Amino acid sequence: MFENERDFRKLVAGIETNDEPNAAHRERLRRQMLQTFEQAGVRSVPVILNPGWDAHAARKLAVAAAVLLGASAAIWVWLGSAGGTGFGRVRAATEKAPWLLAVAKRYANDDVQTEQHWCDLAARKTYVLAEDGAVVGYDYGTGQMKVSYNPRLKTVVVSDLPRTGPFGVAAAYNFVQAFGVFASREDVKVEKSTAEQDGRTLRAYAVEATDPAFSIDGQDVAGLRVTVFADPKTKRIVAAGMEYRGPAGDVLAREDWVVSYPQAGPASIYDVGVPRTARVSDMRQGYRGTPGNEPAPIFTPAPTSGFRLEPLRIELPKRMFVGTPQDGRTPHLEKPRGAPRPPFLAPAGTVNVARGKPVSSSDTEPLIGSLDLVTDGGKDATEDNVVELGPRPQHVTIDLLERCEIYAVVLWHQHRWPRVYHDVVVQVSDDPAFKTGVRTVFNNDADNSLGLGAGRDLHYTETYEGKLLDGKSTRGRYVRCYSNGNTHDELNHYIEVEVYGRPVRSIEGN
Amino acid sequence: MVAIMAKPVEQTGHDDLVVLAKSQTAALGRLYDLYYERIFRFCVHRLFNRSTAEDVTSSVFLTVARGMSRFEGRTEQDFRSWVYTIATNQANAHIRKTIRRQRLLGNAVAQRRAREQDSDEWSSLDWPILYAAIQQLKPEHQTILTLRFFENMDYDDIARVVGARPATIRVMLHRILRKLQKVLGGDPGGEE
Repeated sequence: MFENERDFRKLVAGIETNDEPNAAHRERLRRQMLQTFEQAGVRSVPVILNPGWDAHAARKLAVAAAVLLGASAAIWVWLGSAGGTGFGRVRAATEKAPWLLAVAKRYANDDVQTEQHWCDLAARKTYVLAEDGAVVGYDYGTGQMKVSYNPRLKTVVVSDLPRTGPFGVAAAYNFVQAFGVFASREDVKVEKSTAEQDGRTLRAYAVEATDPAFSIDGQDVAGLRVTVFADPKTKRIVAAGMEYRGPAGDVLAREDWVVSYPQAGPASIYDVGVPRTARVSDMRQGYRGTPGNEPAPIFTPAPTSGFRLEPLRIELPKRMFVGTPQDGRTPHLEKPRGAPRPPFLAPAGTVNVARGKPVSSSDTEPLIGSLDLVTDGGKDATEDNVVELGPRPQHVTIDLLERCEIYAVVLWHQHRWPRVYHDVVVQVSDDPAFKTGVRTVFNNDADNSLGLGAGRDLHYTETYEGKLLDGKSTRGRYVRCYSNGNTHDELNHYIEVEVYGRPVRSIEGN
Repeated sequence: MVAIMAKPVEQTGHDDLVVLAKSQTAALGRLYDLYYERIFRFCVHRLFNRSTAEDVTSSVFLTVARGMSRFEGRTEQDFRSWVYTIATNQANAHIRKTIRRQRLLGNAVAQRRAREQDSDEWSSLDWPILYAAIQQLKPEHQTILTLRFFENMDYDDIARVVGARPATIRVMLHRILRKLQKVLGGDPGGEE
């Protein structure tokens, strides 16, 4: 028997084993490794976005709130301006929809700000919801007013519509008027091309405008390039990309828009989370008072509207660590919010449709736990709640058992420690094999190591709040979540995945 | 080819190479040449199977390739700690994934060991038997044992790889050897 380290070392030294490397493997791996290294150093161009965009550089920019206003106006302006370029059918099909929901992602200072734009095309109203709960409504229909809600002051301010907007066009959110002005310009040229997104071939229409007359972070925007992507089957716009350039041609900011067409939308700002107890100040009539006595109704709800947005009620697990430590090694990491997550609004009646639903995985034999833990409702970061999948890319797929309209996905990996999981991608499809009809709702695989397309979403640190991903009203039966190890080890962990949505049959039955 | 284990670790000064390898393919290739064999042998010692060791070695270096441009270390010691940490995690992940197979292997060899108990001399201890005994330990303990005796790392280096203090490693190693004594003494239940 060995008695100490020295004895054991002698013992080991006398043991023989076949550990001579294989030269062929060594050379093959050498080539593969160096090729991987070179590929990792080449920035992937997102499939749906304009080439030449440096996402990381853009995130360093502080983008003023005016950006989204400008982007919205740009969409409307461009919708009209391309009427004579073969885009007329796209515009007509888009305008036929009762509602248009555009989810805009704004990249700034290593953070992503998301805004929802609910557009009632027939009534010519738009409601803009910011992440912090601020709401701005524009009524270019019968109301002819602008309504702004400040969640900190809990005050609604009613004012006149802006007289001028981007491009010098009055009534920027009334795209018909904006079109009338912009389309008359002779210097507008529409570039047509095709683009790939989630396996679909889309038609891309790009237009550039000079001197759009607004600024970003104090810098004048000298040029705006808008690319709109339309589905050739439905003829409707499904996405858009904006690129804002400064006087020197440098890119000031960029936004990505995903467009969907819900059957119903908010009838008033109170349907998008503004509390009815909010104080109202009508700047048009000098009125200041409390609700119920205001001189003019604000976006009077339509009697047939059963639509209302409410904050999701997400039950949070026990917090496992205090503070939000940052991993300096992880690039493109979301900055800590430093406060609880703001409420996320979804149509009334939205529930966690994933609860108790069957789960499958690329790793059929989890190292720890079982797959049913992913949807069992247990979110605490304890051993009995976590399923551990093997190294390298792995995924879990939840079968919702029927088509659902998905408003949010909340994802808890292992949140016992402040880890960052790599290559988080969430997709929705009606195809259990995820070969057709796949829609990506989140993707931070910046170097496309999963082969699903390079993503532009930021990495994030796991916390007890989980990661809430905007589902963008995507419809599908299956939800698949990918990951590729984490900053602590190469393994993949899932504690819970919640999918907030409503069955499509219940929506269409209304 | 059969080789003698426990080869000494080269003490080389390639700090500049590590810095260059973050952006230059040729420099990374040179680092690979320096470390391939070490990592492969480490994987063989941890995983027992050449084919599996090749797979894990591949995974280790592909992980290095993907992360090299973001690697913040500036010295060869930093790189060595990093690459061994990756190898340790990959090997442990593999072991955990195939834990049932490993237990079966361990039990089988332990039974053989028990049958040969009477004639045992330490000089007759072979690699399968020792490996089976090591497999009875926790993965972290297996790692420490391998790094210490097969990779000839000092306590400081091991501490960097596994994320513990050198003094802790020293104490753990002492306990690991005692547990290994117990296992080799005919208790296949190990430390579980």
